[in-house]
Amino acid sequence: MKLGTQRVGVWLVLVMALALVLAACGGDDNKGNTGGGQATAGGQATTTGGSTSGAANTAPTADPNAPQSEATINISLNADPPSLDPAASSAFVDRQVHNSIFDKLVDLDPKLEIVPMLATKWDISQDGLNYTFTLRDDVKFHDGTKFDAEVVKFNIERGLKEESPRRNELKSVKTVEVVNPTTVKITLKESFAPFLSVLTDRAGMMVSPKAAKELGENFRTKPVGSGPFKFQERVTGDHITLVRNEDYWRKGFPKAKQVTYKIFTDATTALNNLRSGQVDFTDVLPPVEVAKMQGEQGFRVVNEAGLGYQGMYLNTKKAPFDKPEVRKAVDLLVNREAVVKVVLQGTGTPGHSPFAPSHFAYGESDKYTPPDVAQAQQLLSKAGASNLEFTLKTSTGNTELAQLIQGNLQAAGINMKIEQVEFGTLLEQGEKGQFQALQLGWSGRPDPDLNIYDFIVTGGANNDARYSNPTVDEQLNLARKESDEAKRKAAYDKVMQVLHEEVPYVYIYHQNNVFGMTSKITGFQYVPDGIIRTVGMNKQQ
Amino acid sequence: MAYVLRRLALSIPTLLLGSILVFSLIHLIPGDVATVVLGQEATEEAKEAFRRQLGLDRPMVVQYFAWLGNVLTGDLGNSFVDRTPVLELILQRLPATIELTIGTFIVALLIAVPTGILSAVRRGGFVDYFSTLFALGGMSFPSFALAYLLIIVFAINLKWLPASGYVPFTEDPVGNLKVMLLPMIATGIREAALLMRMLRSSLLEVLGSEYVRVARAKGLNQRVVVMRHALRNALVPVLTAAGLLVAGLLGGLVITETLFGIPGFGRLIVESIFRRDYITVQGAILVSALLVVLINLMVDLLYVVVDPRIKLAKGG
Repeated sequence: MKLGTQRVGVWLVLVMALALVLAACGGDDNKGNTGGGQATAGGQATTTGGSTSGAANTAPTADPNAPQSEATINISLNADPPSLDPAASSAFVDRQVHNSIFDKLVDLDPKLEIVPMLATKWDISQDGLNYTFTLRDDVKFHDGTKFDAEVVKFNIERGLKEESPRRNELKSVKTVEVVNPTTVKITLKESFAPFLSVLTDRAGMMVSPKAAKELGENFRTKPVGSGPFKFQERVTGDHITLVRNEDYWRKGFPKAKQVTYKIFTDATTALNNLRSGQVDFTDVLPPVEVAKMQGEQGFRVVNEAGLGYQGMYLNTKKAPFDKPEVRKAVDLLVNREAVVKVVLQGTGTPGHSPFAPSHFAYGESDKYTPPDVAQAQQLLSKAGASNLEFTLKTSTGNTELAQLIQGNLQAAGINMKIEQVEFGTLLEQGEKGQFQALQLGWSGRPDPDLNIYDFIVTGGANNDARYSNPTVDEQLNLARKESDEAKRKAAYDKVMQVLHEEVPYVYIYHQNNVFGMTSKITGFQYVPDGIIRTVGMNKQQ
Repeated sequence: MAYVLRRLALSIPTLLLGSILVFSLIHLIPGDVATVVLGQEATEEAKEAFRRQLGLDRPMVVQYFAWLGNVLTGDLGNSFVDRTPVLELILQRLPATIELTIGTFIVALLIAVPTGILSAVRRGGFVDYFSTLFALGGMSFPSFALAYLLIIVFAINLKWLPASGYVPFTEDPVGNLKVMLLPMIATGIREAALLMRMLRSSLLEVLGSEYVRVARAKGLNQRVVVMRHALRNALVPVLTAAGLLVAGLLGGLVITETLFGIPGFGRLIVESIFRRDYITVQGAILVSALLVVLINLMVDLLYVVVDPRIKLAKGG
């Protein structure tokens, strides 16, 4: 009876083989870098002369007088959120759930203006080093403890701990000082224009210090915040259930009784569930279905430009892309209109910049042009490059894009090979520079600094192209410290002029945020950071 | 009984070998754990702190034996990603997959046994022709396509059954069966096709053998010949195939689980690989290997029931 043991062996190998095959062809987040971090508000730092103050007026979402209901809203998410603790979170999808459980010091409105949330107003000193926040006095966490200045201090310092992914966003913080229970002063080491916008995301989310201390690492599966919904239950990989916080500080909110996040890693499956009624709202739709769904009765589609971008890194330290002419030639050959039309079916916007077209930092030089084969060939012969050949590494979900680029480059006799790499592996190879060209995008942040700095500055954490230019570095640092919008834009314009000549990264398009929902859903307000804010959402029976 | 114990004891080296294999294979997958778990924005010091905390900075051999030591005391460790105990994750996911496996198997048997017998007995007849067609179709038609088809017809158009929404059987038996019916059919049909072909050819072989001819010569009617004499013998190879099938399903239902949103065991393994949550992968595969050992043992015990001539040997 030797059979048994042999079968186990064979089976184990099979399971592993299957797992590996699936790992190789599984779906990745097309949005780009999953290392998705914070949303930050852009360019609202409108200091003119004195200090900047935030006014206490709007917070995003609907009519406070609309009645609350007993409805459960089912929202499908394309991945299982790895961490419900904002201080330990590194995935974009986490933020969808965080925003229902936690409040932030400040929030973003649909126009990307920074608006009050837990802080009713703020003052920024003229040198941009001191941020003084006035806090709400009527906020309680789900465990009954009170929100005050000590809580802010606790949370910011928690994000600054060495093992927290928040540390990178908060590293400009020098001290957090409790002035009185409703006033807190944050002092920076050096002026950092995106700071306020960083607080509109996980770095500005306030968790209950009591719960965080008691639960330790378990906090990431049992989160306690002050937000519109309370955590109730989670089955890993399947669903997360939240129920209404009846004592929420915004009177009349939230509208729905319960929010259930269901995990569907397959976009078609999510769509099927939207159609069959198990889901009311999806965070993703297959591009081919968007146009069809827009005309369909009973459904609504949101297809709006987001803040991110997609494109490819060209390794400036490896042939053939150690020559700027060759990089520029590739940039000239990509047909951006075709990418958006064919690959994205209209769920994107052609682009040539890390800044979305609606953004203040977007300049003249960011406009894209149709492919110019003649000029590309000229550049190639100037560089002495003939019979050019290179390999593009891309994650498995994005092969159509790669194939289209392959065809574009063929026009100038460039032979591009495509290598599909699983997403986690792609990140590592990018970081280590083990590529010639690498297709990897960025999910985008409201502040321009966080869409360009680390990607372009010499030695930056995401500078996979290994690009270095002192002039560019100087302008980037200037824009980072400057709070005046016009001056920042001027600096970014200078940077982009250089980048369009030297092309460490080929910007191709801005991905749209695509949401599908049944027409029973009311009170959803689109904010370009791509977060589904549930506080004002309701479902008609 | 002694046989069962001996078999269990003999499975220990298999499990050990399997765990070493899995451990080394996992670490061959490129993609740094800290980078994947903490994301691109994490600083280098954050990654180092992470590795130190989880003991990933130790040599591989040390890591393996530390893990093994904990496993022997019943501790499968905590997930790298959210620190949930691995055992808890497995227990959360296993019931759905076991139910789906059993359901798939029942659907497969319900289809395969009658059609297999009929098509062997009436070889060349209408049933045989039809079932061969079915088997060919069942094996060629991908189960994910069938799954989509079933969802579109029964969940979206007719709205008879939900497209997802798994609830444990213990909480809501009716709701559970409603959700599980479509996935059971989607995978069951494919497995039925395989079993049916197996049963048919095995039965045909037996029906052509000497002793069946003798039985017929004795004047026994067709029914007794087939059901009492031939079928039992024909079942031995089918049983082997069925055992393999069930074992394969435990880890191989990933696609069905994904399409129907069932929180299953296969998805746990695949998702954990994506997240480089190696400790969960190790624990899950160890548990599934253990299950396979048990299923094989059950199959071997069933041989004796089906065919009394088979004796459980003393050796391995």
